[in-house]
Amino acid sequence: MGEVIVVTSGKGGVGKTTTTANVGTGLAKLDKKVVLIDTDIGLRNLDVVMGLENRIVYNLVDVVEGNCRIKQALIKDKRYNNLYLLPSAQTRDKSAVTPEQMKVLCDELKNEFDYIIVDCPAGIEQGFKNAIAGADRALVVTTPEVSAVRDADRIIGLLEANEMKKIDLIVNRLRVDLVKSGDMMSSSDVEEILAINLIGVVPDDENIVVSTNQGEPLVGSDAKAGIAYMNICKRIMGEDVPFMDLTAKKGFFSKLFGKKN
Amino acid sequence: MDNTVTIKGYSHGITVILNPDTDYETLKQKVAVKFRESAKFLGNTQMALRFEGRKLSGEEQIELLNIITRECNLNIVCIACDDETEDGLFVRALEKADLSPSDQTVSKTLQNARFYKGNLRSGMEMTFEENALIIGDVNPGASVNANGSIIILGSLKGNAVAGMGGNENAFVLALDMAPVQIRIAQTIARSPDHPARSESKEAQIAFLEDGAIYIEPVSKKVLSERTI
Repeated sequence: MGEVIVVTSGKGGVGKTTTTANVGTGLAKLDKKVVLIDTDIGLRNLDVVMGLENRIVYNLVDVVEGNCRIKQALIKDKRYNNLYLLPSAQTRDKSAVTPEQMKVLCDELKNEFDYIIVDCPAGIEQGFKNAIAGADRALVVTTPEVSAVRDADRIIGLLEANEMKKIDLIVNRLRVDLVKSGDMMSSSDVEEILAINLIGVVPDDENIVVSTNQGEPLVGSDAKAGIAYMNICKRIMGEDVPFMDLTAKKGFFSKLFGKKN
Repeated sequence: MDNTVTIKGYSHGITVILNPDTDYETLKQKVAVKFRESAKFLGNTQMALRFEGRKLSGEEQIELLNIITRECNLNIVCIACDDETEDGLFVRALEKADLSPSDQTVSKTLQNARFYKGNLRSGMEMTFEENALIIGDVNPGASVNANGSIIILGSLKGNAVAGMGGNENAFVLALDMAPVQIRIAQTIARSPDHPARSESKEAQIAFLEDGAIYIEPVSKKVLSERTI
């Protein structure tokens, strides 16, 4: 029996879709059978980040409306045979799907997959309700900014009200230099405010921008963000992985010129 | 967006998708509004009609049909339910209704084109009964669908579906061809995963041959090989 994990944040632009793509791909790398569901109907992105946009024939709305079978709508990833994407519809809106339909869909996918990762839209309206309907656990993504943390707090409240069994926190786009100079909250500050289990810290990494634009998730690469996402995947599977030292080793040039930023 | 009543084209006519949760009286009004708005777009062609999404009694079907014929100029030849096997009956009804043989009807109806000026942005989907001429761009996430061919005087960066009803002669022509997906009749072609984007933009044409979709620069030769 698989596990349904919803990736949510409240605020937009904090990295839900990037996290979904990387966590999903990472779990597939670790030999799990994974399906990613994009529930952001009308503003779909996950297909682009995964580089699978050109393969879409059917989508989530077609599945719930019975225009096709689930199997027909699932897109197999181009890198991993055990990774699939159920894309969202672009020409419809959030009301095209109901929480009940999502629950039925997730329950059905659970029989076939180890992990079902649901990419939740920003906001707390119907799209959010759809995304969390079938979920067993949640990954709340936030950046170390006051506004994002506020929204994350609201989301955690809503998840708890909906009796979500397990809620974990991912602090995304942390900038070590700013934390050091006292201009940014540290991951432990965020953890303290939100008071839920911290499952990963992803440093701000320009490689992520490149990877999203190219449609190739970064997870598992040598880039710091790639390592951080891989660690999150292992922790999701229950492994005890120590948090990496984000302050470690500067490059040759920064050593040469000293602290510049 | 209001999804109470949706009109969709399909191989032999149009499908009217009705929201099962709306009460019948509201539904009637919505059907009237929808067809009044679409009257110009639908024109006065002869076609079959089917209802989907909710069960209708005989009287309800007839009442809705009366509303539709009152609001627009369509000549509805028959109604069918959404059962695939009924399709045969359907086509026969269409053929009988027309005095000339059916394939002539097809070529006759596919000789007309409709113009659309403007850019189709992400999330927009336009469906044309015959051929489509778009003056503007089709962006990623948008789709142009037509029973006939599609000509885009602009960039095709989204999806194009030509020959929806199974017309394998349909083609797609664009001044700048960079589609996500092109479908012609039953065949789907997708863009390469790592496209080599050439600097020079030239008009290209996509057509179906031996079950594969080819994209070539527009030339007299390629055009002369096309039939409509």
